[in-house]
This record gives sequence, C-alpha cells and structure tokens, in this order.
Amino acid sequence: MKLRVMNQLMDRSENRRLENRGLWLLPGLLAIFSLSLFLIPAFVIRPFRHQSERALELAIAVKRIAPALTVAALVGVLALSLRLWRRSSRASRTGIVIALALSVASAVMVRQNYFEWMFHPIKAAGFVSAGDAHLSDKEMVMAVRIGQEARAYPIVQMAYHHILNDTVAEVPIVVTY
Amino acid sequence: MWKRTARGRELHFYLAGINNQNFLMRDRETGSWWQQVTGRAISGELAGSALELMPNDELTFALWKSESSKEHGHGLVLAPVAGHEKDYDKEWEKEVAKYPVPLTFPGQGLQDRDVILGVTFGGQARAFPLAKVRGQTPVEDKIAGVPVALVTGPDGESVRVFRSQWNGMDIDLYRDAESDGQSGGQSPEWRLLDSQGNTWNFAGCATSGPAAGQCLEKINFLKDYWFDWKNYNPRTTVYSH
Repeated sequence: MKLRVMNQLMDRSENRRLENRGLWLLPGLLAIFSLSLFLIPAFVIRPFRHQSERALELAIAVKRIAPALTVAALVGVLALSLRLWRRSSRASRTGIVIALALSVASAVMVRQNYFEWMFHPIKAAGFVSAGDAHLSDKEMVMAVRIGQEARAYPIVQMAYHHILNDTVAEVPIVVTY
Repeated sequence: MWKRTARGRELHFYLAGINNQNFLMRDRETGSWWQQVTGRAISGELAGSALELMPNDELTFALWKSESSKEHGHGLVLAPVAGHEKDYDKEWEKEVAKYPVPLTFPGQGLQDRDVILGVTFGGQARAFPLAKVRGQTPVEDKIAGVPVALVTGPDGESVRVFRSQWNGMDIDLYRDAESDGQSGGQSPEWRLLDSQGNTWNFAGCATSGPAAGQCLEKINFLKDYWFDWKNYNPRTTVYSH
C-alpha cells in the first residue's frame, strides 16, 4: 500500500518534470515558428532567383498572416517566460531570453518593407520644364501624353526608383520600370 | 505604365517584393499584391483585377522635346530626387546585364538577356529582337493577320509600333532613301514613305499624300528581356526574317 502511493507520487513528479520540459521547449518552438514567418517569404522572394507560381503564392499567404501570428507567438513566449522564469536555471533563462529576442525581432521584421530600404521610393516627385531639365539629348525617357499634358520620366531615374504614382491630366497613373 | 484605378478606386502603389526579377507591388488602399509586369492583382481583396495599360513611349529626350513642344508647347520632366543624384547610374543596363537570370529559355535563337520588343495582338505574342528592328527598320510583319510595322525613329534609338493599315488597306512602309544618313540621324527630314504616295513621320502621322493629317494606330509593345517575355508569354513566336 505504502509502496503504491510512493509509486504514484513518483509518477506524478515524473509527469510534472516531463510537462515542465515540454513547457521549456515551447518558447523555443514558438520563436522558431515566428522566425519562419519572416524567413519563408524572405527566402522565396530572393532577388535573382526563380519563383514558381506556387512558391510565390505560399510566400504571399505567409506574409499576409505573419503580422498577426508573430504577435500571437510573442504573447505566448512572454506568458511562458513569466511562468517559467523563477523556476529556471541560468541556461534555461538564457534560452528564454533568446526566444523572446527572436520573437520580437520576427514581429518587427514582418512589419518592415525591406524592399523599400533597397529601392528608395520617390516620396514627393518634383517636375521641371523641358528647358530646365539637365538631361542630355540622348538620354532615354518614358513618355506619356494625356490630352494636353506631356510627361517625361528619365529612365536612368526610374531604373533606380522603379515606381512612381503620378497624376497626368487628372488621370492617376503608376509609372514602373 | 498603368492607370492606377481598379474597381472604381484610385490606388497608390509601392514596391513589396520581387518575382523573377520583376516587381511585386501592393496598393496602400487594400494591401492587395500586384505583378508589375502584367498589371494583375494576384492576391488580396482585389485579386483577379487588372490595371489598364497606359500607352507610353520610350524616346530620347531630344525626340520627346521636339514632339511635345511642337504639339503642346510644354511638357514636364521628372526632376532628380534630392539626395539621389549620384545614385543614378547611366551604365545601369550594363550592370543589369551582369545579373544572373532566374529562368532560361534556349531553343528559339535568343539569349536570355537579348532585348526584344514584345507585341501581343489577337491572342498571339511575338518577340522582335531589338537589334533586328534597329538594323532593318521598318520591320514589317503580320500578327494574327494584322499588318504591323516596327520603326526606329530619327535618333536611331526610339522605337514605335504601328498598325500599317490606312483606310482599310494594308500599306507597305519603307524608308525614304533621300532622308537617310543626314546629320547623324537627327534629320528633321526623317520620314517613311508608303505605296500610296504618303509620307509619314515618326509620330505615325501622314505629313503629305492622300492621308495627310491622319495618323496610324499605335500598337502597344513591351521592351523586355527575352527570358522575361517568354516566361509571361510561353507561346510566343520570334520574328526571324
């Protein structure tokens, strides 16, 4: 009888230890999940690489859910950290801090448009008359004419900025290169 | 170049990614994802919508100036963005040519980064190697039964594509030998002749002859790298005369 109780007690503490081990793994898993929400689309839409239609679909689908899911993961990691911190060894605490840092970094990164860091969008376009433009005659321009209004977008500038939202003769257009 | 309206809404686009060396854009209004090269929304609220193409030309500044001042008195030029003047790389085409290509389509006689003029008409797509158009201008061909002429302008750089039909008749365009080779190709005399006794300028308008004052229909085309054109127009043929 006594033995059985002791066995049961031992089982229970064993279970708890297992449960705790599971709990300790959870922040790490959540952090990896969160990081993958940033890394999967970043990997798929690398410049110079081929993207199949399905890979692109996956990347965009992940990008669409990533902002919400990374916050949820961060909340989860935070809650677990609070619960586990006191009982944790030094090594586990290091692990918790890393998981937290990764979750925060992911939640921040999925909100950044790093393509805009690379390609410098035009925030406010300025225009000059043909006479005031410092362009050589040979320079290529993208030209559009709507009604009485004509516009020229030097290709050397568009090849750098790539995109411009403009309005010509009250027609909203987007110039891309 | 696209009109940035879809389903009655004005949209503002920004760069959001890269797909086979073309851009992906998103609009600030709905966050939908768009292909720069096709003008189609591929994901998000506006998925399935297509932007309307805004007809445009790639011209030398000199030609643009002469055409826009003649007809409109003025035109505006995008100014360099402050702080980026030094970033504009006149050699950007040579830089791009060094990039690896994400896709390759051998077998139709073109290199991946050969520049082509892509024309789609009546569901058919054809690629015209730019070097060929420059060398043989005007290049005449038929796409889906419609006669087209690809023409390099007086500057030897600017290209336009016209439907070579006037008054319901197919016309043969050819270079006026007399106006050729004058003052480095910048000759104001530059013109095309046709079999009906008309002369045509680079805007595609008849300056004399029975068609005087009338203009040919301009056909949209895309100046593109071969691999990219082939990727989005898998059934394209290549002009090879």
